[in-house]
Order: sequence, then C-alpha cells, then structure tokens
Amino acid sequence: MLFQDIMLGLDRFWADQGCVIALPHDTEVGAGTFYPTTFLRALGSAPWRVAGVAPSRRPTDGRYGDNPYRFQYFFQYQVVLKPSPLDVQQVYLDSLYALGIDPKAHDIRFVEDNWESPTLGAWGLGWEVWMDGMEITQFTYFQQVGGFDCRPVSVELTYGLERIAMYLQGKEHTFDVEYAPGVTVGALRGDFEVQHCRYNFEESDPELQRLLFDRYEAEAQRLLELGLLYPGYEFVMKASHAFNLLDARGVLSQTERQTYVQRVRRLSEASARTYLAQLGELEPAPEAS
Amino acid sequence: MPDLLFEIGTEELPSWYVDEGRAALAQLVEERLSEAGLAPTSVQGFSTPRRLAVLAEGVPEGSEQREELRRGPSADVAFDDNGTPTRAAQGFAASSGIDPKQLEILDTERGRYVFARLKRGGEHAAAVLPPLLTAMVADLPAPSKMRWSDVATPFMRPVQWLLAMLDSDALEFEAAGVKAGRVSYGHRFLAPGPVRLKRAADYVEALRAASVLVDAEERDEATWRAASEAAAAEGLRAHDDPALRAEVRNLVEYPIAVLGHFDEGYLELPDEVLSTVMIHHQRFFPTQTADGKLARGFVGISNNRVRDEAVVRAGYEQVLGGRLYDARFFWDADRRKSLSQHAWGLSGIGFQKDLGTMADKIARVSDVAAGLAQALELPKGERDALDQALPIFRADLSTDMVFEFPELEGVMAHAYALAEGLAPEVAVALEDGVLPRGPGDRLPASRIGAVLAVADRLDKIVGFFALGKRPSGSADPFALRRDGLGIARVMNAQAWRMPMADLVLEGAAPHRAAGLEIPADVEAEVARFLWDRVASLLAEQGMAVPVVRAAVQGSRSVIDAARRAHLLRSLMEHEEFPALMALYKRAANLARQEAKGGRNVKPGLFRNDYEAPLFEALPGARRGVETLLAQVREALPGWDLGFPPERPLGELGAGVAEVLALKAPLDAFLDHVLVMVDEADVRANRLALLREVTEVLRGLGALDQLEGV
Repeated sequence: MLFQDIMLGLDRFWADQGCVIALPHDTEVGAGTFYPTTFLRALGSAPWRVAGVAPSRRPTDGRYGDNPYRFQYFFQYQVVLKPSPLDVQQVYLDSLYALGIDPKAHDIRFVEDNWESPTLGAWGLGWEVWMDGMEITQFTYFQQVGGFDCRPVSVELTYGLERIAMYLQGKEHTFDVEYAPGVTVGALRGDFEVQHCRYNFEESDPELQRLLFDRYEAEAQRLLELGLLYPGYEFVMKASHAFNLLDARGVLSQTERQTYVQRVRRLSEASARTYLAQLGELEPAPEAS
Repeated sequence: MPDLLFEIGTEELPSWYVDEGRAALAQLVEERLSEAGLAPTSVQGFSTPRRLAVLAEGVPEGSEQREELRRGPSADVAFDDNGTPTRAAQGFAASSGIDPKQLEILDTERGRYVFARLKRGGEHAAAVLPPLLTAMVADLPAPSKMRWSDVATPFMRPVQWLLAMLDSDALEFEAAGVKAGRVSYGHRFLAPGPVRLKRAADYVEALRAASVLVDAEERDEATWRAASEAAAAEGLRAHDDPALRAEVRNLVEYPIAVLGHFDEGYLELPDEVLSTVMIHHQRFFPTQTADGKLARGFVGISNNRVRDEAVVRAGYEQVLGGRLYDARFFWDADRRKSLSQHAWGLSGIGFQKDLGTMADKIARVSDVAAGLAQALELPKGERDALDQALPIFRADLSTDMVFEFPELEGVMAHAYALAEGLAPEVAVALEDGVLPRGPGDRLPASRIGAVLAVADRLDKIVGFFALGKRPSGSADPFALRRDGLGIARVMNAQAWRMPMADLVLEGAAPHRAAGLEIPADVEAEVARFLWDRVASLLAEQGMAVPVVRAAVQGSRSVIDAARRAHLLRSLMEHEEFPALMALYKRAANLARQEAKGGRNVKPGLFRNDYEAPLFEALPGARRGVETLLAQVREALPGWDLGFPPERPLGELGAGVAEVLALKAPLDAFLDHVLVMVDEADVRANRLALLREVTEVLRGLGALDQLEGV
C-alpha cells in the first residue's frame, strides 16, 4: 500500500466514523496535539470528532536521514474523539483492517504508555500500540489540557504513518517507502531532511531564535489579552517551535531549558483559559498552576 | 453456601497493575463481605491485562444475624421524674427505628445509659451484594486512576464490562457506566465475543476455553514453558529473569512463544547492551548457548496465535534489528572518543541549579573521594586506580549510548574503559560507582568503587540539603532517601569505621570551597538524615525501634551501629539482661541527681558492705563489654545493610556472664545504700560509683533508649 493510500484510507475510514477531516494547520508544531483542533477542542463540553494528517517537526529528533525511524520532520495521523467512545479500541482495530492489516494475523498489544506535555500543560493515560513488537500508534485519554481538567474526556489516536508504511511495504528505511507510484519518501523528503538537520543542529542562529521567542511570547500575551484567541495561539505555536530550535542547537542549560518550558506552558494555559472564557465555560478555576 | 464471582473487564491495564490490582480486589472483597456479615470461606483472585476478578467461595446465603446495642443519652436525661421519655429519648428512639418503650437502661462504667437493642443482618446475600460491589468498583485502591468519556467513576483503565454472579444467579447493578451481568469476554483475537457463564465456579474453565488464562501462576508457568521450549528447539536456553517473566505474562492473556534471531554481527556488542535492548525495550527473552554464551536467538511472547508465525517473527526481528542498529551505531561512535574526551561533555550537562554542571559535580566528588581514600588509608595500588578513575567517573553520561539507554550508565563506562585498554580494576570501579541503583540492587564489589559510590551520593545529599531541597513526608522528588540508603548499605558492607560526622564534613568541604554556604545545622541535619536511613534499614529487618535507637545513638559509624543493634537484640533475648537494664535505669536516674561531680571513686570513702563489691565488679564488667564488642566485630565483618548478615550473630560468649556479674552487687547496692546522704564526700563518692557503673554499661549502646523493649 502506497504511503498516500494509507493517508487516504485513514481519511475515508475516520470520515465514515463521523470525523471532520481537517487539513494540517499551517504553522510548525511538534505534534498534532498542538493544533487548535486538538488542543483547544479537547477543552469544553461540546462533542468533537476530527481526523487528519499532522506533519510534525521535532528538531532534536533529526538524524540527517541516517536512522531509518527518526526524523526531524514526519507525518502523524491524528484522530481526536470527544467524548471517548466506549468501543474505541475495536474501532481502532477496524481502522487497521481498513488499511489491509488483519489484526488476527499479527501480535497486537496495547502497552501502557502515559503521555505528558509540559509545554501544553497537558497529560493523559493510555498505551502505545505494538504490532509485532513495533510501536505504530499512540493512544491517549486526555486528563488535563492547558492545566484544565477535560470533561468529558477525549481520546487521541496518533498513527506513526512512516512505521506503518515501512511495515506494509517491507522496507527497512523510511526513505525507501513508496509514497506515490514511482516516488519514494526519500525522493520527496531526503534533501529536506538533511538540510534541515544541518540547519537545526549547526546553522540556526540562536540569538535570532531567542529574540523571536521573546517577541512571539509578548505578541501572544498581547493578543490573548485582547481576546484574539486564534492569532494569539498561533504565536504560542511559533514560540514553542523557536524553543525547540534552541533546544536542538544545544545552547540551553538545563535550568534555562526549564524556564523556556515554563514560559510556553504559561502561554498554553492562557490560551486554554481564553478559549474556555469565550465558550462561557471558565469554571471551576484551573486545578493546576 | 454459594460462590460469588466478580469480574471487572477493562481496556488493557498497565502490566505492573495486573498483579497489584488482583491482590487489591481480593482484599477489598474479603473486607467488605466480612464487614457486611457475609464472610466467605475462601477468596481467590484472578487477573489478566483485561480483567480483575475474584471468586469468593462459601458466601453465606444471608448475612449473619447479630444484635447490636446502640447507646443513647444518659438515663437521667432520657426520662423525666415521672419516668416519661424526654425529647432526647424520643429522638434517639426514632433515629434507631424503635419505639421509645423498647429503650433499655443499662449500667455502664460511665453510669446509667439508655440503649436501643437492634437486630442487624439476616438479609439475603443477593440483596446485600449489589450495592457492595458497586462501591468496590469505585473504591478499589490504585495508585493512579483515569477518567474516560463522561463516566463519573475513575478506574485504572476504562471499564468494559462487569460480571457478578452468586452461583448461577446474575447480580444486577451498575457501576462505572456499565451494567453488570453474567457475561465475560474471551481473548481479544483468539476467542473474541461473549462468554456466558452458567455458574460462578465455572469461571477459570470457561475462560481457559476462550483462550484466556486468568490464573496468574498458570499464565506465568505457561509463559516460561513456552519460552523455554521455543529456545530448546534450537538447543538454546531462555534467560530466566523473574522481573521480565512477571511483566511479559501480564502483557498477554495467553502466551505464545516466537523464536527469532538478530544478525550475528551484533554479537560484538557487550552482552549487557544486547540484553538491555532485548529485555527493557522489547520484552524479549535473551537466550544462551549450552556453554552459557549469549546467543543470537531471542524469544518474544506473543498474545496471538496467528496463521503465519513468520509474519510476527519478521516483525520482531525488524524492530529488534532497528534498535540494535542504533546501539551499534552508538557503540562505534562513542568509541571514537576516549572516556577522558567524553568527560569534557559533562560541562554541558547540568547537575542542579546553583550546584553547577556535572563537570563541577564530578570535580567535587573527586575531592571527597580523595579525602575518603586518605581517611580509609587505602593502599597505594588502589589509590592509583582511584586516581585514574576519578577524571573519567560518570563520563559515560555524555555518550550517545547512555543518552539513548540511560539504564546502561556505569555498564557502558566499564565496557568503554576496557575497550580503550584501561586496567580492569579501573573499569570495575567506574561501574561500581553508580551502584546501588535502588533497593535490592547489588553493591560495589571493589573498595574504590565503594568510595566513588559514597562520594557521589554524599555530594548530592549535602548540596541539595544546603539548597533547602530536603525530602518532606512522602515527597522526595530528588530521590535523596534512595541515595542515603545507598550510602548506608555501602558503608556497612565495607565495614568503614568512619564517623558519620566526619563523612558529612568531607562531603561539605568541596561545596564550601565552591562558594556554597552550608551552616553547621545543615551538616547536623544531613548526619541525622543519614542516621535515619541506617535506622530504617535496621528496622526493616525486624529490629525493635528502641534497640535501633540505642544502637544508633551509641555509635559513631554505620558499621558500629549495625553491629551494636545485633548485639543488643541478642542481649535483650537473654533471660537476665532485661533485669540488669532495669537496674541500669535506676542507677542512671540516681547518677543524674547531681549534675556535676567527680569520676574518681575513692575506696577509702566506702562506708558500708555494698559499695566495695560493686566497685570490684566493674573491671570484669568493662572487660565483658569489650569482649562482646570484639565478638560482634569478629562475627559480623560487614554486610549489605539492605539484608540480614550472611551469618547470624549466634550465641554470645563469655562476655555476657562478665557483664551480668554486675547484676547482683548493683542490685544489693541499690537496695541497701542510701546515696543521697548528707555527708558531701560520701555522697559524691557514691554518685561517682554509679556514674562509673552506667558508663561501663553504656559501652554497649545508648541504653537509655531501651525503655519499653
């Protein structure tokens, strides 16, 4: 199955499950969890179902394309279901079946893996799904987002598309995966990966990123105070990416790193608070600080 | 009497909770049933990743009938002068559900009170159980529960179904958003679908037929048998690691072994690296050849019996291959630099705000270690090895391998040291220095490794205490208690007689040199904290708290305290020793009557027949104390304080009799001699004699702490 057919297949499957098929948000994020369609919509009482491909950037994870599994740019397939359906595990297994993976022909396991995002003030409990020993999906029941309790609870499913594709195509390196007929992932993303690794680890200008972080942070605060939630939250995402670049560049001491994490977290919490206030659901007071 | 079956079906539980949750549920069922007068004859717990269950056999048909006397107001208040019930009595009767006429007046120790005689119990089990079981779903103890959907009751993982049966009757109730019934579910892939039970007692069989082994022991044995047989098919032996076995069996409902192989080339990696990747990252059993060498075969335990096992095997091999590819990449890359070069990287790793980087820390640790080596008078050969180890101690923290596999810290220092041709004793010391990693972990085997291990932990504890980051209550975010326990265990195993106060001083000096302010009371606090760890280790082995206190307060070093604790415990078991302790207490109380006073006993001032015999018994008693102390030193050469000594102390020798010889003259003295006489010099002399007696006995420990043993 081609890489793009996996994405199309999952779109079709989750659309049939009543999901909005959302397009990727056009700001760099470390994971689809940052998307407003996840981070914000996981808050509040209204039901919500969304799915779609989430291109993710994690500068520190880059390996110049040498490692078959690890990249600074990769695709996750992100599904959020609120409230979490009681049969979500079975629906998930059905989605694998729709991709041509018969769960009966594999060793599929749900292995405890809890998740926490210090920058998002979010945490959840769940599993990584193993298929024949390989982690192919992350399953998380959000307990808190932006420092607020999630009621009802959303479940987030994150498929590791590269791994699933490698597995389905029997390839040993992500770059060898066939994306479209005659076009490999490596042909599409190889140079992009290597050049960005050089940029992230060797060439990015830390002074510029520090400056950008400060400006993004100030802008986010200003806009959130004006009640301009969406533009404000976009600057939160940008600030977070600037921090990730500084982290990859190896210029942050442990303490400094912790301070940046706290700064992003405060912005995330302010965004969550603004969102809930605009929904008219800002009560009770946040439980976490 | 009927059997109660209660099963909570869930989405996959964390593997570590499968055993814990089973025990918790069994205990909860037993407690709640007993409280309700429905105590079962036996309770058996079952669990898999998808269920916790209890079969309680012999549940009474109805709850036990019993009478309960409920006390109300005092008789004076309950009835007026005419004997008519007052409003207080009426209210009490109403709240007890009886007529005021049925109230009884009974005499109690505290006077006459009104009582209501209530009949409890006698209800049908089937009526009592549903609310009890509902509450149990909510009350099951678990360290971290979660919420899901819009269900109000949190649980470890979302509840999928509830099964509750009393023999062949289903019990009706609802909990965690689910209605209870008589239906369980089989294996997720091998026998999906409902399993309808006819009788509670059919549980284990019915689920076995649905490819679920609910009995933990049965699943454990099946797991190990499957792994061993799969390995044996190629003449290999599966590595029996109990922790791995426990985890693996709790990741499956039915174990099916799959034997796979990794590439021969990876065998050049150190065994520990291969095992760590297989065990910690993939939960595979490593295998060994007949001659005990690590083999390229491994056994994965699958939760599914598939049509084509090759598919699963290929998956396992691919994933493991990917991990080992990484590991070899790190192994090759890391070896391009020497450990000294890796040590430069420590200045880029923060240790703790205000305590500098790891490089700063290791520099301090070096000073402490050098100080310890001197105090311990290590021979030159060991000091040379220590000097070689210090500049590269924990340098592996900045290797790629340890960054990726943090649990290999120390192991990699050892491997890389050997790979670059350093002396084996240096390599061993580097690994020893990070031991023990936790309770139960092994201790440093080498003396210089022990020096490193103690210096490293001491630096951390002193530094964090100085910053005010000490543990409080159950909160110990920096694991300082673990480090303190490590120090106590290592020092005892090494039988170092270094006084605790000196140790803390050594640990504080480099911090002070680096400009950190450490007031004297912080030093005292650190010493107390370390002594508390020693005390808790001794108490864990069943030592009575007063014995531990007497040993710790009467000692200056860890080994001294541990030996004294064993000595005092043995003495307290002696039939005559407690009586001597009672006399000691009287003597000590008397001796305290006058704070000042000389030590020198002057026989010339003896005035009656009871003073001289006591005085003459002192040298023997002193010798006895010394004999006993020498005996424990001999018998207990140093051992891991996390465990009992390898050889118990055994019978106490001649020293006991010599000490006990003090008993008769002391007894006579206390009975017949008035100490506080008017004649000042006679009084002072008698007090001096008693002080001498108590001081001799205190050679055994801080005996004033022994009260109440």
